[in-house]
Amino acid sequence: MAEITRRVATDVGGTFTDLVAFETAADGTMRIITAKSDTTPPDFETGVLNVLAKGGIDPSEVDFLAHGTTVVINALTERKGVKVGLITTEGFRDTLEIARGNRPDFFNLHYEKPEPFVPRHLRAEVPGRMTYMGEERAALDLSGVAAILDGFRAEGVQAVAISLLHSYANTAHEEALLAEVARLWPEVSVVASHQITREWREYERSNTAVLSAYVQPVAARYLGKLDDGLKAQGFTKSPYIMQSNCGVDSLAATSAVPITMVESGPASGFWGAAELGKLIGEPDILALDIGGTTAKCSLVEGGEVRIMTDYWIERSRKSAGYPIMVPVVDLVEIGNGGGSIAWVDDFGKLHVGPQSAGAVPGPAAYGKGGTEATTTDANLWLGRINRDYFCGGEVEADIASAEKALSAVGEKLGVSTDEAARGIIRIANNNMVNALKLVSLNRGHDTRDFTLLAFGGGGAMHGVALGQELQVKKVVVPAAASVFSAWGMMMSDLRRDYFVTQLADLTEGAGALIEGVFAEAEAKARATFAEEGVDPGRVTFLRYGKFRYQNQEHTTEVLIEGEVTDGKLDRIAEDFHAAYEREYTYRLSAPVEMVGIHLVARAEVGKLTMKPEELTDAPASDALKGQRDVDYALEGTHEADIYDGEKLLPGMSFTGPAIIEDSGSTVVIHPGNRVSIDAYRNIHIEIGEQRS
Amino acid sequence: MSQNDPITLEIIQNSLQAAADEMFAAMRKTAMSSIIYEVLDMGTGITDAEGRIASSGAGIPAFIGVLDKSVQFILSKHEDIRPGDVFITNDPWYGGVTHLNDLVLAMPVFVDGRLIAWTANIAHNSDVGGMAPGSLSGEATEIFQEGLRLPAVKLIREGETDQAVMDIITCNSRMPDFLLGDVWAAIASVRVGARRLEGLATKYGADTFIRAMQSFMEFGEKTALAELANLPKGTFELDEEQDDGRIFNVKITITDTEFLVDLRDNPDQDVGPTNTSRDGTMVCAQMVFKALTDPDSPANDGSFRPLKVLTREGSIFHAQEPAAIGFYFETEVRVYDLIWRCLAPHIPERLPAGHFSSICGTFIGGIHPDTGRQYTIIEPQIGGWGAWEGRDGNPCIFSGFHGETYNTPAEISEARNGLFVDRMALNTEPGGEGQFSGGRGLVLEYRIRTQNGFLTAGYTRSRIKPWGLEGAEEGSGNYVEVIKNGETERYSFVSGLGLTTDDVIRVVTSCGAGYGDPKARDPEAVKRDVKDGILSAERARDIHGVEV
Repeated sequence: MAEITRRVATDVGGTFTDLVAFETAADGTMRIITAKSDTTPPDFETGVLNVLAKGGIDPSEVDFLAHGTTVVINALTERKGVKVGLITTEGFRDTLEIARGNRPDFFNLHYEKPEPFVPRHLRAEVPGRMTYMGEERAALDLSGVAAILDGFRAEGVQAVAISLLHSYANTAHEEALLAEVARLWPEVSVVASHQITREWREYERSNTAVLSAYVQPVAARYLGKLDDGLKAQGFTKSPYIMQSNCGVDSLAATSAVPITMVESGPASGFWGAAELGKLIGEPDILALDIGGTTAKCSLVEGGEVRIMTDYWIERSRKSAGYPIMVPVVDLVEIGNGGGSIAWVDDFGKLHVGPQSAGAVPGPAAYGKGGTEATTTDANLWLGRINRDYFCGGEVEADIASAEKALSAVGEKLGVSTDEAARGIIRIANNNMVNALKLVSLNRGHDTRDFTLLAFGGGGAMHGVALGQELQVKKVVVPAAASVFSAWGMMMSDLRRDYFVTQLADLTEGAGALIEGVFAEAEAKARATFAEEGVDPGRVTFLRYGKFRYQNQEHTTEVLIEGEVTDGKLDRIAEDFHAAYEREYTYRLSAPVEMVGIHLVARAEVGKLTMKPEELTDAPASDALKGQRDVDYALEGTHEADIYDGEKLLPGMSFTGPAIIEDSGSTVVIHPGNRVSIDAYRNIHIEIGEQRS
Repeated sequence: MSQNDPITLEIIQNSLQAAADEMFAAMRKTAMSSIIYEVLDMGTGITDAEGRIASSGAGIPAFIGVLDKSVQFILSKHEDIRPGDVFITNDPWYGGVTHLNDLVLAMPVFVDGRLIAWTANIAHNSDVGGMAPGSLSGEATEIFQEGLRLPAVKLIREGETDQAVMDIITCNSRMPDFLLGDVWAAIASVRVGARRLEGLATKYGADTFIRAMQSFMEFGEKTALAELANLPKGTFELDEEQDDGRIFNVKITITDTEFLVDLRDNPDQDVGPTNTSRDGTMVCAQMVFKALTDPDSPANDGSFRPLKVLTREGSIFHAQEPAAIGFYFETEVRVYDLIWRCLAPHIPERLPAGHFSSICGTFIGGIHPDTGRQYTIIEPQIGGWGAWEGRDGNPCIFSGFHGETYNTPAEISEARNGLFVDRMALNTEPGGEGQFSGGRGLVLEYRIRTQNGFLTAGYTRSRIKPWGLEGAEEGSGNYVEVIKNGETERYSFVSGLGLTTDDVIRVVTSCGAGYGDPKARDPEAVKRDVKDGILSAERARDIHGVEV
């Protein structure tokens, strides 16, 4: 019997815990298993073990297990972390409360500034100062720390955050304070800002340390119980934990600084997009993930995702939110998903989202008491979703409720139910187009050079219409689009992103200075990987410099190949000028300076290898299951061919108007589109002449 | 479906908003002056072909109503407007509205040879010449002393930069590299907006595009009128003493269709630089009107149609050329607060108690000790806001004049400016106590590292403090202290004060005023304030009647 390699991804969501497993035989043939079970708060590991059992997976036979979880983002948004005490530099205890002073909702005189996560009486100060160049200006005085910690204990503090001025430039004071806290109070959970980031801006860095401390005990308990539960069932390794930077990290590292998994959910899907793009020869991808309540999009260029550190939670036009300075895939998220509610304001204007009908009651057509029209109801009404195969046949569509909800919208707008449904789709699509423009056109990328990859439960339904609007090269819907994020998790490398602030003019001597910063970060990365038993030969690096014109603030990242020397500075500057001009349309003759580095350290840890299937000569009509009328909004109503997604084989092709249905998703193919199925069963849709 | 259906119009309107936001992002990321990219003392907007504001980006509310006036002036002055042109103005008598530091750039948008819209932006530039570094001087008596005047001229002709104009602009600045970088950021921003609008109008047709803008404005007017109906009707009047002893007066008459602000009975224009243009006064009234009637949706021309403002030419609120106007913003924020205060007792559910209500513009310059380059800090400050029924005021946010504006981190300030930030903390001075208390102001201490520096500052609400409502305490007042050799001097207005090594500048901004009788404050809230160290035990006892 051939040896089988088993790779498993589990993903804990708010409602369901998902599983995808790939069993690869020695000859490369593959079997895919999916399963779903209820999420089981507060003992989330139970749900993970349940879903493994449901999928028939024996943990003792698993070779690689990746795990994604919303535990961190949930603990933050539901305010279910622990009580935190903050120790900071003398004169700066109020940094956390002062924040940046902005009023995004600027005409609103009743604006409510976000409350800090640590109240003033739990924010303590210690004397001692570093300069921005990392020199000690005043020695650190630890004499008051014992009293500070006594006060924290008396108040029931469970985690301590440390953030000192200029620790990005010199970590010595933070390290000494960290050691002192550990010495005086060994049981307490403690984190210093430099352990998470080496970038400047004291409010953002302090808030990051505080939020990490806030979730650390919760996340460590969760991960510990998961590890124990898997080991008890015979799993001999440790799971890898999905991170916000599109990589996975070890369980031990994640337990220490859990804040790095804050956006791990979307990250796995976008990494999947990058990997799939490489597989099918489309390295430039606009990735779109449409779920139940939101749509998220990101841009992949040359097979690489873009990672940033200016991430915020709860930030909107109405609130300043809270910054978290960790590497997060650059994404734009909007409140438009399948469950988004359509509503008409007092002045007769139609809106879609951001409120969502959620899982309960869900869209009106679920028949669970929902009375408000959602995007899903509109898609159903227009024939885009099959009335007789709703949610993969698991739910009987309540057409009467959907009609009632849609006609109520129509009445308020003074239009027919059909018009209301079309309006909802058009508004939702426009919201998504604007989000896609933010990550593409807005940053100097021409969408005509990109392939739109649409996934998630609703991606396939809207992908073609959006692709036509943006005039992309083509639209691709991946095989098993609804569990694509789990696939992405299995394609992830062990990955860490190091950001270090270091100012340097690109003048003589800068080469050695910059090389030194990269070399130090690389040595640190190698040492950390070595401690975890990762073969140094498998570690690879990508070096990015963050550059700007002298006196500017915002930087542009430039990929740097090989060792940095003075002789290379001109080339680096030219690369910067070119990248800058593409994004901002002009270049200056001003001097260029470096502000810091971004080092990507990666080690492959046994990710999946896909094997292409043979292409068939069979006609697509073998998968045809009938025709029905589909309303394409501005393109009118057409009789569309309905294909069974499960029966479409590699090599088949056909033209629209058509619909592809499988148990997880519906692909809407517009008139004139040309469709082909590739060797990995991905659906490629060449869009015809552009329409609106 | 027709292209003029409400959904298409809605899509165009959403896309206009997206374009204005995109212009804002482009400018922010490429600007060279921290006042633009960090403080975001800037704004972007889109007007229709006639210069009526259709959509605006983020930024500061005080700039929203500026760009339409600039475009309207350009239209009145120029016959020859072509695709690819970019205009520049900065002078309040030539459509510039504010002061000379604020450069407005505007670009016409054409589709098939037809002018369909304008994209425009405004931003505070670090130095445009004049008698003092940073171009702002408390000593100025004429606009000629405040920098280069750009009377709505073409900077770019059909895509070709007019190098003569550009050279004159940069040659007049003490910081030509910054200015050039910032002007190019502004050019990139109007161009990116123009490209988006061309795309939209081409796709949906120019007529539909124009109809969408009109319908958006009609919607703004409808919203404003609907809310106007919910305001109390009648005439309301307020006389308010200022820090310098002058009395400002406002009379506001609200009817079902009109919101009339009469500012004619006010002092003559000043010999100093605190005058404002009529357009500037109009912008202030617009800000209060918008906050009262529809704070939630983006502003456009229609939002302001029910508003009328009367001013007297030659008065401080309607200065005549060539008055100095450098510190116009402190007078504007006073008009804004005057209108707010006049109505607050009558509409307390819409208007909180007084906030620190000053730009607290602080200008510090000198030579960076590590780089040898000139540095200039130009920053508005954050301060305490007033309480309202049910909630304490916000601590440390920007004044009503600013909005999506950010303070400068100490770590960045120390690196960029070569001084030390010794302290950045909440101001715990007494003041603002009420059943709901005002938010705390700021204490910010800069320590100078080199010789030959300077400080200029202009704060109001220093002697006359933020006003409480319903029996609450007033706020604490704004001021700046300079500590030299252990001697402390306190100022509210200071111009070009010399600074040297180890001098400390202490910026102190006011706490917001409270709402309601302090004795009625929840004792638990009083105890929390004492525990947090923002209220003394004595004050808890004396003002709130709570023993802690």
